Amino acid sequence: MAWKHITVSRRMLFIWCMLAGFIVLLSPQNLTSKFQFAFTYVFRWPLSIGRNISLSAATRQPLRDKDMVSRDEYERLLNHLANITQQRDDAQRTIQKLSKMRNTPAWERTSFVLANAITVSVDNLRGELIINRGKEDGLEKNQFVLADNSIIGTISDVGTRSARVRLFTDPASITKVRIGNNKLMKGCGNNQAKVEMLKEKVKIGTKIMASKIPGFLDTPMIIGKVVRCEHNDQPLVWDITVEPVCNIQNIESIHVIVMNPSE
Amino acid sequence: MHWFRFAVLVLLATVLQASFFADVNSKPDLLLILLVFFAVYCDTSDAIICSFVIGFAADLIGHTMGPQMISYGIFGSALAYLHRVITIRKIPYQIIAIFITALLAGSLACLLNFLKGEPSPSKILAPLFGIALYSSIVGPFLFLPSAWWMRIRKPGRFGRR
Repeated sequence: MAWKHITVSRRMLFIWCMLAGFIVLLSPQNLTSKFQFAFTYVFRWPLSIGRNISLSAATRQPLRDKDMVSRDEYERLLNHLANITQQRDDAQRTIQKLSKMRNTPAWERTSFVLANAITVSVDNLRGELIINRGKEDGLEKNQFVLADNSIIGTISDVGTRSARVRLFTDPASITKVRIGNNKLMKGCGNNQAKVEMLKEKVKIGTKIMASKIPGFLDTPMIIGKVVRCEHNDQPLVWDITVEPVCNIQNIESIHVIVMNPSE
Repeated sequence: MHWFRFAVLVLLATVLQASFFADVNSKPDLLLILLVFFAVYCDTSDAIICSFVIGFAADLIGHTMGPQMISYGIFGSALAYLHRVITIRKIPYQIIAIFITALLAGSLACLLNFLKGEPSPSKILAPLFGIALYSSIVGPFLFLPSAWWMRIRKPGRFGRR
């Protein structure tokens, strides 16, 4: 047959492959991410199994006393307490300012979409999850994501049935946080983020709250805690390093905050 | 070249890399190990195709698509051409090949990511070095089962085509 005699030189083969590579590279992200979501959706079962095996291989300390709770539960309750305390303080300030107006509690205009993490990628170069919810479930870009009652990131990409969550520790992530005034926290990989150029020293262990963003987050919520505070290149300013307040590597389920959901 | 077996092997490595090794800081890059394997044990034309396909698979579990397809393709093809001149048969040579390929491919992928507008982390060299080191240690031990699966009986330099 004629097609058996058609041979392609190695040079032409390499050029064609490079051309395909550049087409993929220059294609818009919303188009190429469909391939990634399709792969994650098709192989979600083996990906989940692999992740469960790696999670079960991680050592966990057994409880010594029946009255004690696990570390994860303790951190979840601590985060819940921090959020409730912050909401109470905000509510008191609002009541003082607008004592004659009715104020809708923050979460009454909000719904939460429960999702499971299919893959978790947290290393020096990136921090992201792929979850099993997408546009069909009301998810949109830039919505905030909760785990153990703390903010862990935002939706960066949405497919029909899955979505990508960019953690606040991802180098591409910039999150507005409250430290006195609003400051920008930039992810730096390796499960950490930094807030730079602060005028005052911040105590280690201080809880960092994510700022309100109209349409996405109506009340400040805990996002991380300070693990390091050191001088910048300039001696008069400080840089702080923030880590998440939940164990992201062991995350299994998360909640996506959907503001003003359509009925 | 058994393309179905190649597809199964690449898919298995992709799933393992995305699930089992996803949240480990210093980890071997299974797809990179396969890249060097096929560059060394296949003939040049097949090695070029394999390099780009493995790069595409690496992009599927990465952040953006394109950088690893190009970087794996370039360095996999270069390694295949190099193997025609210098036989990469012994384990020490394979370790060096994996290490250098990991560093070069990782650096080019980071550069292409940066050119695409993705912000890069402040420290790239340390994680790249860690991945290259682990891959070069683990890699040669995965060559034998890969050769068995691909039914390559006489690993070595192939005749020129």
